[in-house]
Amino acid sequence: MTVPTDQHKELKKDVTFRIFRFNPQVDSKPYFDDYTIPVERGITVLRSLNYIKEHIDASISFRAFCQAGICGSCGMRINGLSQLACTTQVWDVLVKSKEPGVIKVEPLRNLPLIKDLIVDMDPLVGKMKHYSNWIESTMPESSMGKKEFLVSEEEFLRYDKATDCILCASCVSECSILRANKEYVSPAVLLKSYRMNADSRDALHEQRLAELVKDHGVWDCTHCYRCQETCVKSIPIMDAIHGIREDAIENRGMKDTSGSKHAEAFMTDIAKKGKLVEATLPIRTNGVIWTLQNLVPMAAKMIMKRRTPPPPPLVKSAKGIKTFREMFKEMTEHVKQDHKSHKK
Amino acid sequence: MKPFDIVIVGGGGAGLYAAMEAMKTNPSLNIAVLSKVYPNRSHTSAAQGGANAALANKAKDDTVEMHIFDTIKGSDYLADQDAVDVLCSEAPKIIRELDNIGTPWSRMPDNTIAQRPFGGAGRPRCCYCADKTGHTILQTLYEQCLKKGVIFFNEYFALSLSVKGSRSRGLIAMNMKSGKIEAFPARTVILATGGYAKMYWNRSSNAAGNTGDGQAIAYRAGIPMKDMEFVQFHPTGLRKSGLLVTEGARGEGGYLINKDGERFMARYAKEKMELGPRDLVSRSLETEILEGRGFDSPAGKYLHLDLTHLGADLIKSRLPQIREMSMQFEGVDPIEEPIPVRPTAHYSMGGVDTDNFTRTVMDGVYAAGECGCVSVHGANRLGGNSLLDILVFGRIAGHTAAQEAGKFEPGNISEGELTAQYDDIRSFMHSSGHYERYGELREELGQTLGTNVGIFREASLLKKGIQDIAELKERFKKVRVFDTSDVFNTNLMQVLELRNMLDLAETVAAGAYAREESRGSHTRTDFPVRDDAKWHKHTLATQVNGKLALSEKSVTMGRYELQERTY
Ligand SMILES: Cc1cc2nc3c(=O)[nH]c(=O)nc-3n(C[C@H](O)[C@H](O)[C@H](O)COP(=O)(O)OP(=O)(O)OC[C@H]3O[C@@H](n4cnc5c(N)ncnc54)[C@H](O)[C@@H]3O)c2cc1C
Ligand code: SF4
Ligand code: SF4
Ligand code: FES
Repeated sequence: MTVPTDQHKELKKDVTFRIFRFNPQVDSKPYFDDYTIPVERGITVLRSLNYIKEHIDASISFRAFCQAGICGSCGMRINGLSQLACTTQVWDVLVKSKEPGVIKVEPLRNLPLIKDLIVDMDPLVGKMKHYSNWIESTMPESSMGKKEFLVSEEEFLRYDKATDCILCASCVSECSILRANKEYVSPAVLLKSYRMNADSRDALHEQRLAELVKDHGVWDCTHCYRCQETCVKSIPIMDAIHGIREDAIENRGMKDTSGSKHAEAFMTDIAKKGKLVEATLPIRTNGVIWTLQNLVPMAAKMIMKRRTPPPPPLVKSAKGIKTFREMFKEMTEHVKQDHKSHKK
Repeated sequence: MKPFDIVIVGGGGAGLYAAMEAMKTNPSLNIAVLSKVYPNRSHTSAAQGGANAALANKAKDDTVEMHIFDTIKGSDYLADQDAVDVLCSEAPKIIRELDNIGTPWSRMPDNTIAQRPFGGAGRPRCCYCADKTGHTILQTLYEQCLKKGVIFFNEYFALSLSVKGSRSRGLIAMNMKSGKIEAFPARTVILATGGYAKMYWNRSSNAAGNTGDGQAIAYRAGIPMKDMEFVQFHPTGLRKSGLLVTEGARGEGGYLINKDGERFMARYAKEKMELGPRDLVSRSLETEILEGRGFDSPAGKYLHLDLTHLGADLIKSRLPQIREMSMQFEGVDPIEEPIPVRPTAHYSMGGVDTDNFTRTVMDGVYAAGECGCVSVHGANRLGGNSLLDILVFGRIAGHTAAQEAGKFEPGNISEGELTAQYDDIRSFMHSSGHYERYGELREELGQTLGTNVGIFREASLLKKGIQDIAELKERFKKVRVFDTSDVFNTNLMQVLELRNMLDLAETVAAGAYAREESRGSHTRTDFPVRDDAKWHKHTLATQVNGKLALSEKSVTMGRYELQERTY
């Protein structure tokens, strides 16, 4: 076994970081500052930012804590994509730069800007509260600590992936609906809600679901898949969103009023094909004009950035399709009535 | 502001458990949690391995008593035995309670909480959730606190206790979003700000903010620090960042190689090779580097952790996380090249001196978690015992403070006190006489600690370390905060953190210099053996009139007599 001593060739490249700047105390509008530094292989974007802050301009403001991709502090847009600065290699993103040798760094979108690369996370926490993103234990507090719940491995696996979420808000930043509607529940909160609902120890299932099907809730999602493609922990967020929708139809289908427009779209698909054709859903739930305005430009941009375009219309065989069909008739009636009462 | 009954500083596992328990103990109390980062970002999330508890789900013959013995032996007999009793007997209850409120533990085939073996434990008693135990515990506690309506002051940086005589009147903190200095008059304050191992800077596995703020606040208020010289090193940190490559890599058959291509562990542990105990492997790596057999790089000297011979399949299937980390943080794919590593400072055993109820010597001030030192870890903590510590003693802190809050009056924190702090902070921004760069000081502090107060210690090195720290403290007086804005001034925050690290570094170095023996994580090459006659005692470091004073405190013994620690 021989290892040459100079195995780690410390090649360096000059890289320009074009950083979004905004200090609410002095700036009337944001601008960009360029900083050029030599970067060797193996250096992350966060380390480069730290270097710039320590050696060139101490006033650049960004959040970072663990530096290990686990705390979720350092979410920002790097060359147009929301991701963690601490796990992103400079040389890797350099390949995707529009202007050679330049990396653009901007704050996350869809959350209020505080300063430079720092956005306000409070709205997200507010939504976690609104959708009761916690377990309301079926066990009374007085009996706690004495006995474990018995939970099957199968149940654990149902929400295992969802508990990987580090609340970095990268998905929030990329969500196409949030850009149009800041009150929208948010992908990360849908994910957490799903995780809570899937837990047998929880007693809030019904209540949480009732909130999720209201306006700005689960039915507003356009299934654009941006969140899932973005997720820094590769969590299949869409599975969670499907999960909540199926759950809603199964458990509340007939009771719903507010989600009816969406339910209608959902049901047409089921009735026609017995399958969900996700790609057509946004058009029907939000209208053609909305879709054209919001989704088409985004899809075009995605192709320009050579990102994977959204996956082909997901044709997923719906679980319990028989029940759906049976419910369908009843629901169509319900939706019709709902429409009538709205018109009155 | 309306006075608080309890102000908790820190939103990690210790702080959040304290908040939850205090709300439970007395729901009518006015409780606030202050944290410099959103609670879910706290460093508790980094703990992968798990938390120990003798649930006997896996090994049916496991007992609390065995857990107690393992902990005391692991501590090299420096832990207080009554405190260890509390830690281990409360453990099963805590783990079950966490389960009851929704922690997603991994499961055994019989649907009970899963357990696995961990270093230094006689039975497999480490409860885990895949490789994200700390993360899921922290999430669960945060969720429960949101549910209970705990009032959070997120991104508030605690500056000091407001002290009158021997009493605390509450806390003074800076609101990061506005830059305002705000008063938190309070009957009780719980310090739960985590560890101080980040003072080793690039040679630390810790988060950037593990700068011992709570300890420094207590220290400057005259509260003693205990056993500060005990800092645990992990053998394999990544060269550039200090981040951990877990034991798994060596467990699967990874080799440690020096620049001559040798598997050098043969020199130190012929039988066990790479799988020797953590402290021994750390010392071996350090020796190789010291004796000139390390690789050179701008980021410092290092060795190779070679996995290439294991093959792509095994690395991909068994060590995917380690592969991802190496690629993300070093740009190295371990399938093709060895991983550059060196020992890294990992955990601080020392902290604010408390009794078994987390009380400090100051009325109404408590400390818990890695910030406090009860002491349950003594000279060396066992893997999986630290999460347990923060949960058990976080809970006790919340309970005790809730019960005792009525005993203390919240004081009045005057406007003048706030203005003084503001002026003090602003003085760093003056251009005249302020030119030192904090980044340099921080780097140099890490270097001198790593070299002179690191794994191997010796009188002459320690003297040099103490001198370096004193010089850095002098230079710090001239440090410049270049960002003069009020809103989210991270430059200022980092300078304040550096001040805390410098104050504490002095206590670590002084403790290490005084302790003329080798025990647990503290290795003196000039005093290579444990000296129970002289040193079976805790070190206390107290600030008296602005100067550091060392004293001692006896170790509480119990059922277990002193023995040699062999494995
Ligand atoms: C990589 C790694 C792996 C680990 N693995 C394990 C393991 O497997 N098992 C185990 O038992 N232990 C493990 N540990 C140790 C364990 O994770 C920590 O000891 C423990 O999580 C500390 O918890 P805490 O609540 O005391 O502090 P932390 O979680 O560090 O929280 C500190 C809190 O204080 C706040 N704070 C700090 N300063 C201020 C200030 N000035 N103002 C306001 N707020 C402030 C922070 O915002 C934070 O919320 C590991 C540690 C590391 C570094
Ligand atoms: S799939 Fe839904 S939640 Fe995800 S980004 Fe698109 S609209 Fe947002
Ligand atoms: S779902 Fe993924 S991208 Fe979204 S906040 Fe969680 S970890 Fe980040
Ligand atoms: S700094 Fe924690 S995730 Fe990047």
